[in-house]
Amino acid sequence: MNQFVLQHGRSPELQLFPHITELGAKKNTSIRLNSLQESATDSIRIYYVIEGKFEWHIHQQQYMLYPGDVALILPGQKFGSEKGFLEIGSLSWIHINIHKLESGEMIPGRWSSLSESESLTIGKILFLNNSLVLSKLNEAGRILQYVQSELFNQEIGYGTRVNNLIDELFITITRQLTRQSNPARNFPKTFMQLEQTLRQNLSHQWTVEEMAAVVGMGTTLFNEKVKSYSGFSPINYLINIRISEAIKLLKKIDASLTDIALDTGFYSSQHFSTTFKKLTGYTPSEFRKNHLPNN
Amino acid sequence: MKCIITIELGTNAVRVFAFDLNGNVIGSMKGHYPTFHTEPDHSEQDPEQIFITMLFVLKNLLNDNIHVKKYKVDCICFSASMHSVLAIDKNGVPLGNAITWADNRAKKEAQELKNSPAGKKLYTATGTPIHPMSPLLKIAWLKNNDPERFKQTNKFLSIKSYIIQQLTGEYLIDYSLASATGLLNIRTLKWENDALEFAGITADRLPGLVPVFASAGTLRKAYQNSLGLPADTKIIVGSSDGCMATLGAGIWDEGKATITIEDSGAVRVVGNKVLQDEKQRFFNYLLTEDCYVSGGPTNNGGIIFEWFARQFGDFKNPFDLEHSMEELFSEASKVPVGSDGLLFLPYLLGERAPIWNANARGVYFGLNIKHERQHFIRAAIEGILYEVYSIGKILEEHRTISSLSINGSFASIPFCTQIIADMFNKPVSLRQNSHSVGLGSFLISATELGIFKSLDEAAQTVELPDNYTPQAQNHAVYSGYFSIFERLSTKLFDEFEAIATLQQKNASDQNSSKVYSKIKLT
Repeated sequence: MNQFVLQHGRSPELQLFPHITELGAKKNTSIRLNSLQESATDSIRIYYVIEGKFEWHIHQQQYMLYPGDVALILPGQKFGSEKGFLEIGSLSWIHINIHKLESGEMIPGRWSSLSESESLTIGKILFLNNSLVLSKLNEAGRILQYVQSELFNQEIGYGTRVNNLIDELFITITRQLTRQSNPARNFPKTFMQLEQTLRQNLSHQWTVEEMAAVVGMGTTLFNEKVKSYSGFSPINYLINIRISEAIKLLKKIDASLTDIALDTGFYSSQHFSTTFKKLTGYTPSEFRKNHLPNN
Repeated sequence: MKCIITIELGTNAVRVFAFDLNGNVIGSMKGHYPTFHTEPDHSEQDPEQIFITMLFVLKNLLNDNIHVKKYKVDCICFSASMHSVLAIDKNGVPLGNAITWADNRAKKEAQELKNSPAGKKLYTATGTPIHPMSPLLKIAWLKNNDPERFKQTNKFLSIKSYIIQQLTGEYLIDYSLASATGLLNIRTLKWENDALEFAGITADRLPGLVPVFASAGTLRKAYQNSLGLPADTKIIVGSSDGCMATLGAGIWDEGKATITIEDSGAVRVVGNKVLQDEKQRFFNYLLTEDCYVSGGPTNNGGIIFEWFARQFGDFKNPFDLEHSMEELFSEASKVPVGSDGLLFLPYLLGERAPIWNANARGVYFGLNIKHERQHFIRAAIEGILYEVYSIGKILEEHRTISSLSINGSFASIPFCTQIIADMFNKPVSLRQNSHSVGLGSFLISATELGIFKSLDEAAQTVELPDNYTPQAQNHAVYSGYFSIFERLSTKLFDEFEAIATLQQKNASDQNSSKVYSKIKLT
């Protein structure tokens, strides 16, 4: 294999591609101390194992990687080897600068030909997923090889093709992530995971698309599965959780109704009050008075 | 037109049915609520979420099916999973989540008590097996391990008691559900003093005891308004899901047994006497004063086949477990009865009746070079059903069973129903689209409303149309293999314990060193 490292700002091959901060391939035949210390960067880093066995520390978890595996390191996450050095073996990698929107969401960037909504979904799945190692994704290795040969040969149309290949890489990884999490096959487990995420971010104004993205499913299938499993539409199920949590706060804490409303994800105390009354027949303050005779 | 609503507060969901006064279903809806496992042995549910989910589902059903068709709701009758415990403070506010039947935190307490003379006495008095599921042991656990919560607790409720209290303000429990708490003397129908003492409480910490037919008071004004129900809507306390399912399956005479297999399962009989068992293998729960539902539960029902399907099923269509299970059944049907001598012990989740061994594990036995993939599938199904048969066999030591009634999603798969008929060598009746728990609640309500003169008369009306006849030839094959299945289940006792100990040790070692292996694609 060809060993090389291209870096943004140093390598003319990357001039046309400011979003690629680094691209490389390496066959490591000896162990050098301090060759892989833990670091975090602003880029998204993707490593593909060609040969050997690597024990890496990614975002505070220990992983074993074997040939065909891909490690995905998100911006700000720490990556390195606990022993500080790179083990013997071969690997290829790419570092890509990712665009952060004002809303805090991540998308690949302007260079990408992905549609806006697909970019958003991909960004969400990448950032909400906890599995940072993908097994047996040889496709990713092949794409990295194509990127390399496009950059070195610079044939006609290579500017477009490199970017298409990176889009392709994101799509491949995202699809694998959703498959690996197997959301529909074990839907009860998927639903539990969704429930946890919703509860952890209850004040967020969730949309159905976002909820579907959390578990890596298409919106239509997601709607259908949630309805048949829970008996509720995703939004109504979320209202169940909101009201249940609100009831606990109403019964326990001397918090203002506005605070409770916002904490549990209602737009306003008015919205909270209307929804609450519609379901229970009580306004939140009536409910509080009725259920806490001693206060 | 009048109607009756039944509300079943089940393990994962609330199911609400509406019946007309002839017992026809005129509407049904369900709503899921989650179970939280914050620690390995813990299994909890949020009482407020259960309440809100129940209210939401009830309201939707009333709006969509009842009010628009101008039905008048005569009564609402409740049923619920057994063995739940919810601690509330002096204001009636829950102290944490409800602890469900599946919670195992009290296993140490259970083991100690079970092997003591006091345990035997308590089992005889209360009819509830000494097991971590029992509220007796859960309350004792709270006393020993969560003294702060225990001290603040004004009452220990069941989930159903809490839901009813939210609706009407009354703290009640029916004798039937109370008979599954391990705290009620099933002969005197009073809280058992020795049990209260063991749990560290007095009777005033528990809800008031009432018959299953009792009225639970009047709906609070706000709920009358939001649900559109008049003040005179009768709220009936009802029973447990297990007892209701038995009644709803038409099992009312001696000589019949009912087999329920969903994720887990049970075999039950009904009679006017408690089944005394030296080995403490049965439960004896009350339905009414002179009617005992006795039987044994299994952990390893359809959930084991679902596990099998996930591991070994074909997922060409990656989004469909049901499809993959159907395929497996059709493959299993190609193998002869008895799987050519391949046996499967389904104890992946440990086992309750009849072996009551939490350390029991799964086993394939008798494998030879001619066995193929399909044999494994059929053996898995047969193994789950041998286990159910083994419960039936020990019940037959006490009762004569001449026919069976089947319900539950796994048992009512025709392939399984036929195997059950063959194994037991008894005729089996089955109700498709079974909703036995709801129907049981309907029968209780209709009897209370005077539509039937007695529960006997009510139970007679249950129709069981689909019949399966046993094949003598198949029974002979199953009997031969079953005796090996039965012996293996007890013979492996020491090895089950050894492997379970090692599994637990290695699992906790791995947890402490925090090495995460990569996730494998299946």
